[in-house]
Amino acid sequence: MHLKYESQLREPLVNGEKTFHQVTEDIVRPIEAKPSRLWYIGFYIAVALLLFGIYSIYRDVTYGIGQWNLNKTVGWGWDITNFVWWVGIGHAGTLISAILLLFRQGWRTGVNRAAEAMTIFAVMCAGQFPIWHMGRVWMAFFVLPYPNTRGPLWVNFNSPLLWDVFAISTYFTVSLLFWYSGLLPDLATVRDRAFTKLRKRFYGVASFGWTGSTKHWQRHESLSLVLAGLSTPLVLSVHTIVSFDFATSVIPGWHTTIFPPYFVAGAIFSGFAMVQTLMVIIRKVFEMEDYITIGHIEAMNKVIVLTGSIVGIAYLTELFMGWYSQNKYEGYTFWYSRAYLFSPYGWSYWGMMACNVLSPQIFWFRKMRRNLFVTFFMSIIVNIGMWFERFVIIVTSLYRDYLPSSWSVYYSPTIWEVGFYAGTFGLFFTCFFLFAKYFPVIAIAEIKYVLKTTGESYKDKMGHLENVAPEVFAHSGHGHTVVENDGAAH
Amino acid sequence: MEQKKHWQSFGELNQSKAYNKDVKDEFKEELPFVADDESKSFLNAKAPRRDFLKYLGFSTAAAVAAASCEMPVKKAIPFANKPEDVVPGVSKYYATTYVQDGDVVSVLAKVRDGRPIKIEGNELSPITKGGTSARVQASVLDLYDTARLRFPTIDGKEVTFEAIDKAMAASLNGPAVILTSSITSPSTKEIISQFIAKYPGSRHVTYDAVSFSGLLLANETTYGKRAIPSYHFDNAKAIVSIGADFLGTWLSPVEFARQYAIGKKLDEKNPEMSKHIHFESVASLTGSNADEKYLHRPSETGAIVAALLSAVNGQGATGISDPKLKAGIENAAKALVANKGAALVVAGSNDVNVQIAVNAINEAVGAGGKTIDWSTPVNYRQGVDADFARLVEEMNAGSVGALLISGANPAYTWVDAEKFKSGLKKVKTTVSFNTKVDETTELCKFVIPDHHYLESWGDAEAKAGYYSFLQPTIYPLFKTRQWQDSLLKWTGNPSDYLAFLKTYWSAKVGGETGWNKALQDGVLHPSTVITSAAASFNGSSVATAVTALLAGKKGGEIELVLYEKIGIGAGQGTANPWLQELPDPVTRATWDNYVIVSPALARTLLNIDLNNSGEADAYEVNPPKKVVKVTVNGTSIELPALIIPGTHPNTIAIAVGYGRSEKLGKSVIGSGKNAYPLASLNGASVNFVNTNVTITSTGEKYPVALTQTHNRYDTPQGNRTEVMKEITLAAYKHHPTEIREEREAELKPWGGLEKFESQGTIYPVFDRPGIKWGMSVDLNTCNGCGACVVACNAENNISVVGKPEVLRGHEMHWLRIDRYYSGDMDNPTVVFQPMMCQHCDNAPCENVCPVAATNHSSEGLNQMTYNRCIGTRYCANNCPYKVRRFNWADYTGADSFPDNQAGIVNDVVLDMNDDLTRMVLNPDVTVRSRGVIEKCSFCVQRLQESKLTAKKESRPMVDSDIKVACQQACPANAINFGNANDKTSSITKTRIENPNRQFYVLEQLHVLPNVTYMAKVRNLEEEAKNNS
Repeated sequence: MHLKYESQLREPLVNGEKTFHQVTEDIVRPIEAKPSRLWYIGFYIAVALLLFGIYSIYRDVTYGIGQWNLNKTVGWGWDITNFVWWVGIGHAGTLISAILLLFRQGWRTGVNRAAEAMTIFAVMCAGQFPIWHMGRVWMAFFVLPYPNTRGPLWVNFNSPLLWDVFAISTYFTVSLLFWYSGLLPDLATVRDRAFTKLRKRFYGVASFGWTGSTKHWQRHESLSLVLAGLSTPLVLSVHTIVSFDFATSVIPGWHTTIFPPYFVAGAIFSGFAMVQTLMVIIRKVFEMEDYITIGHIEAMNKVIVLTGSIVGIAYLTELFMGWYSQNKYEGYTFWYSRAYLFSPYGWSYWGMMACNVLSPQIFWFRKMRRNLFVTFFMSIIVNIGMWFERFVIIVTSLYRDYLPSSWSVYYSPTIWEVGFYAGTFGLFFTCFFLFAKYFPVIAIAEIKYVLKTTGESYKDKMGHLENVAPEVFAHSGHGHTVVENDGAAH
Repeated sequence: MEQKKHWQSFGELNQSKAYNKDVKDEFKEELPFVADDESKSFLNAKAPRRDFLKYLGFSTAAAVAAASCEMPVKKAIPFANKPEDVVPGVSKYYATTYVQDGDVVSVLAKVRDGRPIKIEGNELSPITKGGTSARVQASVLDLYDTARLRFPTIDGKEVTFEAIDKAMAASLNGPAVILTSSITSPSTKEIISQFIAKYPGSRHVTYDAVSFSGLLLANETTYGKRAIPSYHFDNAKAIVSIGADFLGTWLSPVEFARQYAIGKKLDEKNPEMSKHIHFESVASLTGSNADEKYLHRPSETGAIVAALLSAVNGQGATGISDPKLKAGIENAAKALVANKGAALVVAGSNDVNVQIAVNAINEAVGAGGKTIDWSTPVNYRQGVDADFARLVEEMNAGSVGALLISGANPAYTWVDAEKFKSGLKKVKTTVSFNTKVDETTELCKFVIPDHHYLESWGDAEAKAGYYSFLQPTIYPLFKTRQWQDSLLKWTGNPSDYLAFLKTYWSAKVGGETGWNKALQDGVLHPSTVITSAAASFNGSSVATAVTALLAGKKGGEIELVLYEKIGIGAGQGTANPWLQELPDPVTRATWDNYVIVSPALARTLLNIDLNNSGEADAYEVNPPKKVVKVTVNGTSIELPALIIPGTHPNTIAIAVGYGRSEKLGKSVIGSGKNAYPLASLNGASVNFVNTNVTITSTGEKYPVALTQTHNRYDTPQGNRTEVMKEITLAAYKHHPTEIREEREAELKPWGGLEKFESQGTIYPVFDRPGIKWGMSVDLNTCNGCGACVVACNAENNISVVGKPEVLRGHEMHWLRIDRYYSGDMDNPTVVFQPMMCQHCDNAPCENVCPVAATNHSSEGLNQMTYNRCIGTRYCANNCPYKVRRFNWADYTGADSFPDNQAGIVNDVVLDMNDDLTRMVLNPDVTVRSRGVIEKCSFCVQRLQESKLTAKKESRPMVDSDIKVACQQACPANAINFGNANDKTSSITKTRIENPNRQFYVLEQLHVLPNVTYMAKVRNLEEEAKNNS
């Protein structure tokens, strides 16, 4: 995949006069150095949040879902909102690593590792909600279709919740494999540089005996392609299936055929926003500005403005259909419960509109796309907006559905609902901090692939070579970058 | 043929020695103590010391280990000797009678393994015909009330009955006063008169908390009888009620609801129904059901009655300035006159003059002998406030030596309770017969716990000639004694009450056989219906009364009405958690009383405009409501204000019965405030109206637990007529198929009514052979009273969750009664719609459950499998009717997690989990644990039972085998249930006979519900507004 020509007019993907060795040094440094004070502070905050989340779940399991403010009409609230939100976030990683790999987008190399890790952690967080929101979580294994002595009693294959079980577990498994298989060469690099026995042992086991032989590389490449091929439909299917939780129901505001594409676009939108949030921090904290360049940031901002606009079109389509269908129930949900600013949850709809549709339009401006502060701020805004979106879909549809008699009182979360959500942040960041400390946050090997075609220094040289007559290159095999033995320490 | 012998082993075949030994010793295990020789017995065996210590050590350790594991104690104790007529698991039904403070309802008590668990109406009763009320249904829970008195006390110390009798013998040495609520029992009256004969100078005072003094005295003036006649709403084609809530709380609502329903039942081929015109100040259940309703100030009641009288006499509605009201009176007069001989006027006022004028109107429209029957006067209410007021004076004067109280609770209900209390202190001997410590019992010296009615013997004469009997359905739970027994004892009568009763009745009903038959039936009445008769009317006082009415003083800016709630009554229901959690049909509120204000008053007083969607939303979705302060003659009360459309702008209302003594049980704690002190004593009668009060907003808020927050099915985006269909009689006559055509139009995109089932889906349509359960609810006869809701609670072990949980929308009712307003917000049209699981053929809840915990039976039931449910709540979300309920916390104590109730569920719920209270549970219905969904099952346990009964008798099941709990409880017969595949069943007939009124709620969704509703038809002249 590195056998390609790239115009020198394109921005370099790796800045600075990097050599292969420098790349390794730069990326492995955080693993080998003592964590900074900042890392500790962040880590402890994350663990504290996680513990609070565990306590919140403990209450929910021991005392019942009544620890939350859900009611007879609003059966899902923050729980499923957070579930969909986290699953959505978990889309960017696989999209970057799989679809962009297939589309040969070289810029993905700088961000794919962290994005994939984020995907896995986000899916882990997402998975907590459907599990712990069950009234009898100790019976959760009922959702698994296994031969049993109860009849045998099978699961209900008609239920979108069951499809969720399959979709998310498959997605998680494939993403994890993809991520981990990509990690192998880099773990071997770390192993080879290890200076303590424990590290050697740990990374030795973790790298599965990677030696960097050509055969290994060949299989690795094939595996990557196969997994990319597998993941690609998953990126689209997972959120499609999550959207079926709503789309197959009868509730106005849920029962909508537009949901699958709209959810996928929204998921990519929020996923990229989360990647931005993390990348802006990582490149600063780990001094990796040369690898995660402004160019990367800009590319992702383009995706954000694109998907944000798709989502915006979806919102407007829904509104239009709410009117055009002349269905009074749809009409009420879309035009009163949501779009009417002064209805009880009108604020959440307009919050969503402001965050997801209006504010990303700022990225039509190149200056803004390349502004780190704006990017960081917008990435947060987008994720808030996407949280609102799920909240709007779930709560505003449920709380006033068909029978006016069952319209509910105002639903707002209890501390334990918020605590559960905070706890998943704790889980996410605990994992992410550990990841950042013990794993290479940038794919070393993949950076090295692209270094010689798109690295800054090489581009400079390329510029120089452009003026050289082609005959000079005859039989020189130019454009074929020789990969160093990545397994060896530099 | 030779008998074959099978052998199992060679040993058996050969009968070897080893085999025989093995067979003999197969289960023989001896302690391995080695006896020295065979001759010595076990006791003399020499057990090795080590062995002994080993066994000792092991058994001690095992015992310790076993003891340390907390094992649930199961208290299922089998009968040592099985009683002859008790079959475990089979219910027995005993006819008895619900009697409380003058209310009489003949019932059957369903007794399961010795415990009464459910009350059903007695269909043999000619008065109620199997109907019940919410309070009747809930009364079984009072039997198992943990706050019941468990032993007699003197000055609060436990004593024996012998000690009490002895002490009483010493104390009762002069005339005594027996103070009771209305007594309907002829034998008890006999006992009282014997007691009075024994203690000369004694007397019996009847005191009703909410009395009918006005009516009683008016009848005395005009008919010469201090009595109340029987009313026949079923004979009335025109009914005018002036503030009488006869379907909810007035006199005998169960009886009247049944009669009223007869008039409202619509025959599609001959669409005629009674006309009900209602005048009231505050929205009531009856007013909500009326065909026409007019609002007036409470102070205008007299003028209205006077105007109606003059209008009926053809002199026009004089003296009424409000044009709407005037038109209403003229309408009413027109309807009454047009239906002479089939017209009835009732008034809820306690003012003698009002009732005299009403009697005059009834005379003018020929009600006597037709809709008013003087041949069978009723005994429901006999108290006259003036009698009691005089007693209070005497008590304060110190001239009452002994006071025996049963049923009456003046320390709480009397308008001047403080005066009663101070008087009570001056009475030397105070005796209270009561099941619980109420506000009056608390102050009495001698407290003698009384039986609950389900533990009692007795009789009741609801109306002259119509008797109903009580028999115990359970052995008394506590050291209690029926108060008649005490009276007999103190009279010196050697027989106990049972013997007395038996003697009393045997003579009347023809000996033992007649008595047994009467007990078995529970009712006794003349074989031929007593013909209605009028009474001679003495109109001499009418003119004076009318003059007095017209001279009535004008009301102030705001007027106050005190009213009874259907579940709570005068306060009898406050300590009953089922009744507390029963949403009031009119306000949909639970667990509290509050100030009812009109939307107009809310605009000025509370700054809430219900016509402004933002303000209405904010008011609806937030349970804390603004608190107002109501001041009446210096007495003030602070309560939250609820905005109830259909209330006169200048009127506010507060329910009585709240703010009870905490000794009555957990459910009264924190529940509302006592409004009785706001009443006033108006000479002869207590006046529950005050025409000049002040109301101010305090700026505070107090949460009110409403179960329904939004009240209109009309939205800015369209009128949801698929939810509710109503039509006027005129429109119906003009165009009978209007509703059918509306449905046709709704379903047009999917093939119309005919082909909707097959064309509304892309899936194949399946046959539904065999049984297919179906229900039909007639919205015309349903009056929304809530009896079915409580019946459902009792039948299906539905958890009480307490106010904090209702506030959060966690109530568990499987059946609720939705109440919708339409039209003018100030005086809207009100409809009630019982809503329960619709058992959809194409149920949206079923396909979303990941574990198939909710599924469809071959009989068309949508079933819940509790032990398969994992609680994702997806089914509840996807239910368009929102009838599924989730167990948010461990409401029942059935959870496998120990100690997870304290601090999570409130005390009322814990009290419902008490071993005593749990005796009310229906063993046929699983008690649901935390984390599962539950919902209406169409009383599947009853369906199974009825199928089995038919099967055992080798015959097809018929309608009479089955009555689901809500259907059984309904006093108006609004619910019909049965096998819709059976051509002869009444459900099929109902559906075939009512094609034009029938509709399914949200039919267009193609969920194919199995509950049909029959549209509400209102007897109105004007053309219906075009809703579609």
